[in-house]
Amino acid sequence: MKKKRNYSLMIGLVMSGIVLILAVVGQFWTPYDPTGMDAAARNAGPSLAHIFGCDNFGRDVFSRIMNGMGTTFFVALCTVLIGAFFGTLIGAVTGYFGGWLDEIIMRINDALSAFPSILLALIFISLLGTGKYNIILALGILFIPSFARIVRSEVIRCKELEFVKSAQVMGAGKFRIIFVHILPNAAVSMLTAAAVGFNNAVLAEASMSYLGLGVQPPEPSLGLMLSDAQAYLEIAPWSALFPGFVIVFIILGFALVSEGLRVRQSR
Amino acid sequence: MADKLLEVRHLTIGFEEVSGIEKVVDDLSFDIYQGEIVGIVGESGSGKSMTAHAIMGLWKNGAKALDGQIFFEGQDLLGLTPEQMSKIQGDDISMIFQEPMTSLNPVKRIGWQVAESLRLHTSLPEDQIHRRVVENLKSVGLADAENLCRKYPHQLSGGMRQRVMIAMAMVCWPKLLIADEPTTALDVTVQMQILQLLRKIHLEAQTSILFISHDLNVIREICHRVIVLYKGKIVESGYVTDVLEHPKHDYTKHLVASIPKVREDGRREGHMLDAKHLNVYYHVRGKGMFGKPVTKHVVQDVSFHIREGEILGLVGESGCGKSTLAKCIVGLNRHYDGSLELKEAHPQLVFQDPYSSLNPVKKVGWILEEPLRIQGIKDKKKRRKMVEDMLIKVGLDPSFANRYPTELSGGQRQRISIGAALILNARFIVADEPVSALDVTVQSQILDLLMDLQRERGLTYLFISHDLNIVRQFCHRVIVMYLGEIVEEAEVADIYDHPSHPYTRLLFHSILDGEKHMGRVTDVEQKSEMKESQGCPFYSRCRERQERCKDRRPASVDISGGGKTPHYVKCFKYSKTGEKVDA
Amino acid sequence: MKYILKKSFTLIITLLLVSMVTFGAFSIIPGNIAITRLGQNATPERIAALEAELGLDRPVAERYVDWLLNAIRGDFGESYQYSGVPVSDLLLERLPVTAILTAMSLILILVISIPLGLLAARKEGSVIDTAVNLLTQVTMAIPAFFLGMLITFVFGLVLKWFQPGKFVMPQEDLAGCVIYLIFPAIAIALPKIAMVVKFLRNSVLSEVGKDYVWTARSKGNREGRVLVSHVLRNAMIPVITFIAIVVAEIIANSIVVEQVFSVNGVGRLLVTAISNRDYPIVQAVVMYITAAVVLINFIIDILYQVVDPRVRTE
Repeated sequence: MKKKRNYSLMIGLVMSGIVLILAVVGQFWTPYDPTGMDAAARNAGPSLAHIFGCDNFGRDVFSRIMNGMGTTFFVALCTVLIGAFFGTLIGAVTGYFGGWLDEIIMRINDALSAFPSILLALIFISLLGTGKYNIILALGILFIPSFARIVRSEVIRCKELEFVKSAQVMGAGKFRIIFVHILPNAAVSMLTAAAVGFNNAVLAEASMSYLGLGVQPPEPSLGLMLSDAQAYLEIAPWSALFPGFVIVFIILGFALVSEGLRVRQSR
Repeated sequence: MADKLLEVRHLTIGFEEVSGIEKVVDDLSFDIYQGEIVGIVGESGSGKSMTAHAIMGLWKNGAKALDGQIFFEGQDLLGLTPEQMSKIQGDDISMIFQEPMTSLNPVKRIGWQVAESLRLHTSLPEDQIHRRVVENLKSVGLADAENLCRKYPHQLSGGMRQRVMIAMAMVCWPKLLIADEPTTALDVTVQMQILQLLRKIHLEAQTSILFISHDLNVIREICHRVIVLYKGKIVESGYVTDVLEHPKHDYTKHLVASIPKVREDGRREGHMLDAKHLNVYYHVRGKGMFGKPVTKHVVQDVSFHIREGEILGLVGESGCGKSTLAKCIVGLNRHYDGSLELKEAHPQLVFQDPYSSLNPVKKVGWILEEPLRIQGIKDKKKRRKMVEDMLIKVGLDPSFANRYPTELSGGQRQRISIGAALILNARFIVADEPVSALDVTVQSQILDLLMDLQRERGLTYLFISHDLNIVRQFCHRVIVMYLGEIVEEAEVADIYDHPSHPYTRLLFHSILDGEKHMGRVTDVEQKSEMKESQGCPFYSRCRERQERCKDRRPASVDISGGGKTPHYVKCFKYSKTGEKVDA
Repeated sequence: MKYILKKSFTLIITLLLVSMVTFGAFSIIPGNIAITRLGQNATPERIAALEAELGLDRPVAERYVDWLLNAIRGDFGESYQYSGVPVSDLLLERLPVTAILTAMSLILILVISIPLGLLAARKEGSVIDTAVNLLTQVTMAIPAFFLGMLITFVFGLVLKWFQPGKFVMPQEDLAGCVIYLIFPAIAIALPKIAMVVKFLRNSVLSEVGKDYVWTARSKGNREGRVLVSHVLRNAMIPVITFIAIVVAEIIANSIVVEQVFSVNGVGRLLVTAISNRDYPIVQAVVMYITAAVVLINFIIDILYQVVDPRVRTE
């Protein structure tokens, strides 16, 4: 009844906007060369010149974060796109037609989603080897089931509703019904799922890179930065803490967006 | 005169919004005397439920009492602390809710739930509590009460759950029972039983009842006095007979006479639909990967026809196969055998629920254009024009094309549905309970619209409804279905004057059409599961059953005695020549 | 009884399938193992000799059956990395560590989140609710490994409540091990506590508006009693399913957190094995985790039946 302002969505959009802009700019320009080492600035604390300080090799942490976010976002975006595209396709078709194909895919889905996704990613990586594109492939495939599940349940929900029945009576074809009548109803759930998926991808990429199984040096990535900096936690905590806080900031932003979207939908 | 039990004075209830105060119930004053049944009638949103909840001390969604008092035995309930109020709730005042399916706690046993009020309000020892629970369950007509105590709600039917609710409400012998639409969610025959039960309880325990309903016929059946609520205000009140016979306020008049105009007989020669030995099946997918799909035989060997320009009524309780038959006719269910001949290639369907029959993410214009697009009308301007014309035709402004269905009322949505069905000039419409989700006044508007369109365009309708009063006014001919079979078929006048099948009689005697029927119909058993038996499907419930009905199926016979209009009945009570035979 | 038999059967089938899939997958990787051990410029003869020694020249199906028969007896072969060391020894040595860590995390989660979730729902919209909501939002956004690092930094390096990297195996000093594991357990539990609190709160809130709850109120139940004796059990039904997911994630996060705190558990074993392509170990750890996950789902299933009578009637 009460119309409250959707603060979650607003704050989330602002936060996500900031990091996205920084990441995009970071691909073309950074205050310092992200790989440039400055022996004099080794483990230098945050200052006006280096706002997030410098790491063990004297590299500017802020510049590295700006640049590294690009890799992280690229991986997350590709992952979500792969997951969303194939997930939507599979979910829509199996949800609408049902039958044995649906049963088999859903059983595989159930089995996959019972397992922690990072474990599955680890298995994939041990098969494919490390590296950015392998990570994208592994995470992308892993995200298909969750999208498929969401789209499928929306399709099944709508399929029994009367507006779909009346479209059938009017003589609309099956694919028209799925893609024109039903899928627009699933748009908000899919968007919410995409925001959540994006977060999971950021998290998974960071974790894998931290373990040394994801993005490989010298390519910068937030997880990798944390892994490198952990040894110097006592001498130069900023070089570990700032990349970590940025990860938290990114995830919080997108989580707020997805929360805001859900609130908006339920109104 | 007995004492006043409840005095409501200037009760005003509303929500405090940012934009100001929104009153839902406005300055309500009425009394309930000891041993009286008072009804409150009104449409949804009139504030009747909110009034009931306020007396019960339940405040939903931030509703607040803004003004007034509710005196119960001289004590102002609104002035009590929650603690004091909870001592009255369930003990002196108790309540029965509308939805028996969801009003019981799904994870608690029946016995525990019925006993709860006793545990809260008395200090009886456990064995006595159990005795009281069992006694109460028995007194509401539930057999095998001991066993029932150990069951969970999902194991009971809707009617049984409502009986449990009543037992639960009565277990502490309250002085006032509030019944909030207690029969709305139930089938007509079950509704009758529950009303009889309430009346019996009233007579035995001298409990006063406040009965909330949107249905004037139910109110007429059970109440002494009635209060008519319209937009949160009392527009009329008095003895039931006075109010109904001499309604003063416009809304009450509307309510009493919310029945469409008399139709003309526009039937033509020739059949729009011919069904012969039609069997319809319903496929349920098997459980698990290797589960076998289950086929349910929903409509069994049905033969009937619909004349061109005719309105054929189809009545029967929920689960009798009405909707499955409808879906089969419009081509949504292809699992059938027998013959089904239709003159209209694209029969259209108008659904019951106006809230799910329109795609919520599309604009009204898009929805109305969709059938045109599907049929390949490429010219955008032409489509727009046709949509505009259709909106006017169904009594809406052309600007509705730019609105979303969520912005419309139930009646407006149903107009859109009708428009979408007619935009391709279909001559045959299957209407599946098209008005049962609407308020009474809106009902009559939609029925008028359907009637006008029918006359204007010479349409043919298959009109499915559970509301026998509407069918009587709206249809030419009626088919009665029971468990997938047609048990009786005749002209409206014939069937209403001489209902002949025992099931039709039960059904028609359960209608509350104005005369009091209490006591005429004796209690029947709950409906049994549909079984593939050799005998008459109605055997288990029939009060006129004979030995042969058990394992042989009666054939359909014409009992009109060679009259102009045939009257088919499927019962052994009638010989092949249509005469009544006594066993 | 029949139900348990049926479930045990599915458990075995699942394990078999997973073992088959992983074994097959690890086998189709061309020549990796020999190259990993002998280096990039090993001669083909040497590779062939090593493959023969490891039995890799035989057909996959044959090797799988061998492996399976041995695995049933508890023999998962030898590690490639540490030649001659049986995988089962490595696994058994580390299993207690991970088991203790997982159990500690789960206990933390349950003990803290259930009362907190109820409190947040009971006081919907109050300061407590908002605080809990905010806290959950933030903690959920912290990746486990970064939380581990934060805890290491604050409690280990600044406050010096524990010594990072000074982990002792439980076999040597059980009490010392448990004390050291408190902080890793917190690192795993904190985000999950947030998730469970949020989930339980929403589950309770979606219940309190339902018809049966109004029935309970109309009987004269006070709000607290309504919550405890009517709502809680209904609200727990979805939460139970959710706990299964949480447990699986605890196991997953323990892999990363063990790395952060230098805890010699199964997770660390797995990560090292993956970097070294030590497939016998990877295979064994995958089997262990699969068994754990399936077993947990099994237990949750039974719990579900106890709580919800509607799924019981069969």
